Amino acid sequence: MPYRNSIGVVVLAAVFVTAVADARAHDEAKYPDWYGQWLRTGGIQWDPSKPIGRGQQAPLTPEYQAIFEASLADQTAGGVGNDARYSCFPVGMPRLMSVIFPMEFIFSPKITYVLFENNMPRRIYTDGRSWPKDPEPTFAGYSIGKWIDEDGDSRFDVLEVETRYMKGPRTFEGTGLPLHKDNQTVVKEKFYLDRSNADILHDEITTIDHALTRPWTVTKNFRRERSPSWLENDCSEDNHHIAIGKENYFLSADGYLMPAKKGQAPPDLRYFRQSLR
Amino acid sequence: MRRQLAVLASCAFVATSGAVSAHHSFAMFDQENPIELEGVVQEFKFTSPHSFIILQVRQQDGGTQLWSLEGGAPSALVRDGWSSKTLKPGDELQLTVEPLRSGAPGGSWSVGRTKFKDGRPIVVTP
Repeated sequence: MPYRNSIGVVVLAAVFVTAVADARAHDEAKYPDWYGQWLRTGGIQWDPSKPIGRGQQAPLTPEYQAIFEASLADQTAGGVGNDARYSCFPVGMPRLMSVIFPMEFIFSPKITYVLFENNMPRRIYTDGRSWPKDPEPTFAGYSIGKWIDEDGDSRFDVLEVETRYMKGPRTFEGTGLPLHKDNQTVVKEKFYLDRSNADILHDEITTIDHALTRPWTVTKNFRRERSPSWLENDCSEDNHHIAIGKENYFLSADGYLMPAKKGQAPPDLRYFRQSLR
Repeated sequence: MRRQLAVLASCAFVATSGAVSAHHSFAMFDQENPIELEGVVQEFKFTSPHSFIILQVRQQDGGTQLWSLEGGAPSALVRDGWSSKTLKPGDELQLTVEPLRSGAPGGSWSVGRTKFKDGRPIVVTP
């Protein structure tokens, strides 16, 4: 028994030494002060400098412009078009960076985490790694970043990030402004604090995607809340929007299906025996 | 369904102010044709992803109909000074809501267009 205790002490000591070494490797003074809660300063559209929907003037190919127009037409009739988010479907990159609900940053020596109030976190690997070979795609994608000291003051001030290997379907915004079904999207970002206001964070985002005729760059601006409140925001708790087949329905106050669209037919009940209805 | 004792007067203006800032499309709600609604709170659901007011709306035959009204996320409401206790069962409200396009008793509500039935504002502490 004493022998087993000795092993335990050695293991604990090793963990402690490793933790101390990691802490030393993570020189906090080298990183910028991005502490706090970051909230979007614009609306929920993709390019905050332009109106939502057609007003975005997205550089879509003719094929994807037609897909977008069909989405808008369906939404005019009360459908959801290409936007699957109503049923808690993940939004993925780059739409995550619309930051509908706030985000915060956590720096560690090898990974920068972006935590969202209502989405899974992003992990941005900053350890100098190369792209993995054929990784399993995810909605947030695989992100590799690099910290840069642009002004030479021995402290990082810019985080450049590239994200690949995303899963779909994804859209830029709730109007159903689409990304390509091939999911070959590449997203390049540059994060930095505003030079005259440390409570403003900029994210310059360039999306390269086969649904677009050219790379599309927008700048998102976020304002800092230094004394934030954080609440749970879990979409699965009480979502009243129901997807059945290709239709969207709405739950009534007493928990039954209601039509969302004018003249909408009830769901197909082919798998229910008629006598049990 | 809309010809009920509750005031369901159509307002022909584009609803932009006070609109719910949603994480998804609110296209199922008719934002161009909001209606006025009065009723009694049966339940205030301070739930994610969006809050709900379950409102008892009196009908012409003396009965009531339950409306399911979707609002902002609790975290967004908290930042506006609201809490899960801001509305209580029995509170009488008047609201401008954006109804479901189907005509079923559902819609969306927003902070800026909700007050007590007697006209008092809903007091919050931001």
